[in-house]
Amino acid sequence: MATTQDIGTRIELVPMDSHCNNITLALYRKDIAGVPGYRVHTYSQHPSAQQRIEDLRQTMLVLGGIEIDGEGFLHFPCAHAHQFAIRRLFLDACKRDPQLPLAPLPLHIFDKKGDCDIFADSLGNGRYAVRAEGNNSGIERRTATIARGLIRLGEMEESAEDANLAAFSCGQAHDALVAQLLVRAPNVRAAMREAEEMASRGQLVAPSAQN
Amino acid sequence: MDTPKVAPMTSRERVLAALKREPVDRTPLCNPTSVATVELMDLVNAPFPDANRQPELMARLAATGYTELGFDTIMPVFSIIQESAALGCKIQWEQKDNWPTVKMSEPIWETPDDIKVPTDLCTHPDTKCVTDAIKILRKEYGDEVAIVGKTMGPWSLGYHCFGVEPFLLMSLDDPGKTKLCLDRMKEITVEYGLAQIEAGADALTLPDHATGDLVSGEYYERYLRDLHIEMAERLPVPIILHICGRTVDRMEYIAQTGMAAFHFDSKNTPQESMDVVKERISLVGNINNPETLFSKGPDVVREEVYRNLEAGVQLVGPECAIPLQTSIENLKEINRAVRDWHAGYDR
Repeated sequence: MATTQDIGTRIELVPMDSHCNNITLALYRKDIAGVPGYRVHTYSQHPSAQQRIEDLRQTMLVLGGIEIDGEGFLHFPCAHAHQFAIRRLFLDACKRDPQLPLAPLPLHIFDKKGDCDIFADSLGNGRYAVRAEGNNSGIERRTATIARGLIRLGEMEESAEDANLAAFSCGQAHDALVAQLLVRAPNVRAAMREAEEMASRGQLVAPSAQN
Repeated sequence: MDTPKVAPMTSRERVLAALKREPVDRTPLCNPTSVATVELMDLVNAPFPDANRQPELMARLAATGYTELGFDTIMPVFSIIQESAALGCKIQWEQKDNWPTVKMSEPIWETPDDIKVPTDLCTHPDTKCVTDAIKILRKEYGDEVAIVGKTMGPWSLGYHCFGVEPFLLMSLDDPGKTKLCLDRMKEITVEYGLAQIEAGADALTLPDHATGDLVSGEYYERYLRDLHIEMAERLPVPIILHICGRTVDRMEYIAQTGMAAFHFDSKNTPQESMDVVKERISLVGNINNPETLFSKGPDVVREEVYRNLEAGVQLVGPECAIPLQTSIENLKEINRAVRDWHAGYDR
């Protein structure tokens, strides 16, 4: 009788997709032979829904440097979960204007607050160094802040020696993913707050607790 | 717990028996309040706010609680504002991902004399939507599943129509006036409840938000116990009283009302609640919404289900209307856990 499927554990949700008729989009995780796989899914029967799912998959492949298997599951080439990072990638992919050309982002951004270009240099073995080009004051604090942003958004590891370093536990490079996370890293609190606000919608409170 | 062997029951039989504390073949899954989610809305193409205002959509979305999640009840009244809309309250209908609410900052009544039960209370589009949805569900599902309606109690209507603060201040300053207001508003509760029974509801949820955070047990006894006794007498189906929050301090009074069941919050442990009510009223609940169903995984859901079953709670389900972003996986786990627990017990 039931038509809902056992497609794994839902790890992220966008309740209303403004780019496709307000359908609900979700990211599910299912581990197959020990390898974490992710499925972008909607229960919507809207005629545009499946194309939207396909477009989102493509967006995540390109922006996250991930792969897709024959079953439609997305996974990282390193076969590690990086669950926090893929959740962020999914949210950003859903938000992104689908009309824009799709290409991996560069490993640098312009940081308005520091008024300088910020680079994430791949050092190998999944390690990235955040550096700035410019001589503005406070630039060291800024690069450390952005490195911390990467660590939080990508669930990366910090370095005890260098506040500008961030590393993936898998020990492999994820340039496209880091480039995507770098956009949000300067203001990680806003990114987190936005996600929390979206998640908190739809909780009914008693009349006595309403405004 | 020693459960006598009972022949297999339909969902409807199971729920109605549990509401009378009679033997059941297994503990029923009951949702006295909404189990709608945004994903289920997509599944059956019945999104909010339309599913709160169009009977076909309301029925279709509500049915997923039974067809997809395995509950033994179908409860189509997702919101708590249908009759307040008919009374003239201003409603914020919101979007797919949020609940409609009454604009309580713009109250419609100030004194007992303002209280008028409109002649179209049960034919207003937003109340008729519910009775029409119940008729659709009754026609489609016959006697296989229990259909539960909802009629708001006078205390909740007081918040909606007078505003929360003015109503609470009135209860402090002028108990006589407050009782007069409640006495007049109770007719709305009864009339709308009777309309849903006539449409085919097997039971009614009666939310009356004398919640633990704002109203004491003594207040409940003073203002609401007798009114609730009257409701149980005048509405000829099992009534499920719903009050959010910590309510152990008033469960003794609630157990005296003659209502069939109390839908209780996870702020009260199953065992302490069962100890207070002592088989005088069934308990239904009390799986936590924000922490467990919304934020945790199936393992934690299962633990909470088991805790209720071990305490002898008669009907298991979420503590209140679930968050609209709750995962289907967690909701299905309630069903799996109840069945597994009984399978384990029966072995």
